[in-house]
Amino acid sequence: MSVDEILLKSRFQPLERILAYDVFNTGFNGWMTLMPNFTEYPDFDVPATLVCKDQWPPVMLSSATYRYPGTHGAMSGTYSLKLSTRPVAAPYVEKPAEGSLGHAIKRLSFYRPENRFLQIECWFSYTAEQDVVDGGDRPQPGLHENSIRDFGMGFDVQEHGKRYFVGMRYLNAVDGKLTQKWQYVHSRDGVTDEEWAYGLKGDWCKKGVDPWWFGKRYPNGDHDGFMNLPDGGQKLIYNETDCKLNWQYMRLKIDTKLREYVEFQCQDKIWDMRGTKADARDGYDRIDNLINPLFWVGTDTNRRVFFYVDSVVVSQE
Amino acid sequence: MKMVNDSHLEVKKYFSGTFGTHPYEVGWADEAIFFVMVEKIEGNPTLTAQVQLSQDGVHWADDGSTPSVFTGEGLHIVKVQPNFGNYIRLYVNIEGGKMFLNLHIVCKG
Repeated sequence: MSVDEILLKSRFQPLERILAYDVFNTGFNGWMTLMPNFTEYPDFDVPATLVCKDQWPPVMLSSATYRYPGTHGAMSGTYSLKLSTRPVAAPYVEKPAEGSLGHAIKRLSFYRPENRFLQIECWFSYTAEQDVVDGGDRPQPGLHENSIRDFGMGFDVQEHGKRYFVGMRYLNAVDGKLTQKWQYVHSRDGVTDEEWAYGLKGDWCKKGVDPWWFGKRYPNGDHDGFMNLPDGGQKLIYNETDCKLNWQYMRLKIDTKLREYVEFQCQDKIWDMRGTKADARDGYDRIDNLINPLFWVGTDTNRRVFFYVDSVVVSQE
Repeated sequence: MKMVNDSHLEVKKYFSGTFGTHPYEVGWADEAIFFVMVEKIEGNPTLTAQVQLSQDGVHWADDGSTPSVFTGEGLHIVKVQPNFGNYIRLYVNIEGGKMFLNLHIVCKG
């Protein structure tokens, strides 16, 4: 058994058939930044929208190098996949500011008719840029934990003519106040496509699609695109300074036959999500059998924040 | 086999005045090139581009190379001189008008 196989079996719990095992110390492995569609006349313009989506920064291979300790490295070597934001944020209830999110996506597809379950699992970490020490009445000046609004992982799936988004979001902070709880992708009943797209009539997007930038947000952290996971509070590791990373584990399993969530795990805690429906919409043209695993991160203040993925496994059964 | 990667840094947006591109980590790469595509211009702009390096992604210094100076639409190239460390960015100044940019970085290593 090779070292890679040992690490795979020790660190992950893959389903029977592994579609992707990406260790970012070896390269990008096809994970790239999510960008808008450059399709419109006359010069590859983007479709009309109220959310600027061409400012999400590029993903990169990071050595996680900081001002004082130097290079942190990754769990599996030197490099991890880094998602980042620009140093700009809007208040929580407003639509995302240009560049306040970072996304990574890999584009795959179904390949065996009997594959019912789909799973993504990864080792991750996150931090905020160690730029300036915040003053005022902060209990721990220089610790920028509450600059990170959210991060998460999930899938964009289309099969048998239905498209749905499933994923888990760690809502870390809302306008500077730590919330530290998990939410799952599911759009609120009764919301119209127009309301979903901040009132723009004719936006190409449908309710439930692309919840990280669409969907109304509420002051208490609620969101028309994310529902609170029951008993979903969890304090993840954010070590004593912004330049200390701890690698943590999360896993999401879904059922593509019932179009339901099955199970979510983060660190050593497991949530049974059976019976939680994905909200399926009529499929889009030309993308049936699509599987797009993805990650994202968002900043809560005018400071860059970073989400690192050491390695990820996508599997089916 | 070597790895190569192209990342966007700015796309389809007018710029004037000064700005630095997003801090980008290139520790894995042996070579790096900024591709500056000027898709449209307004006025008579001149772009001056200086490669900058950083130890931590926060504090920046010029890399010691001569700044690149461009005018006009089309593709312009800034080859980063060797020994660039981990964090790099392009520090840009546009005077005399506006430029509509598609700015990428290509790394190989």
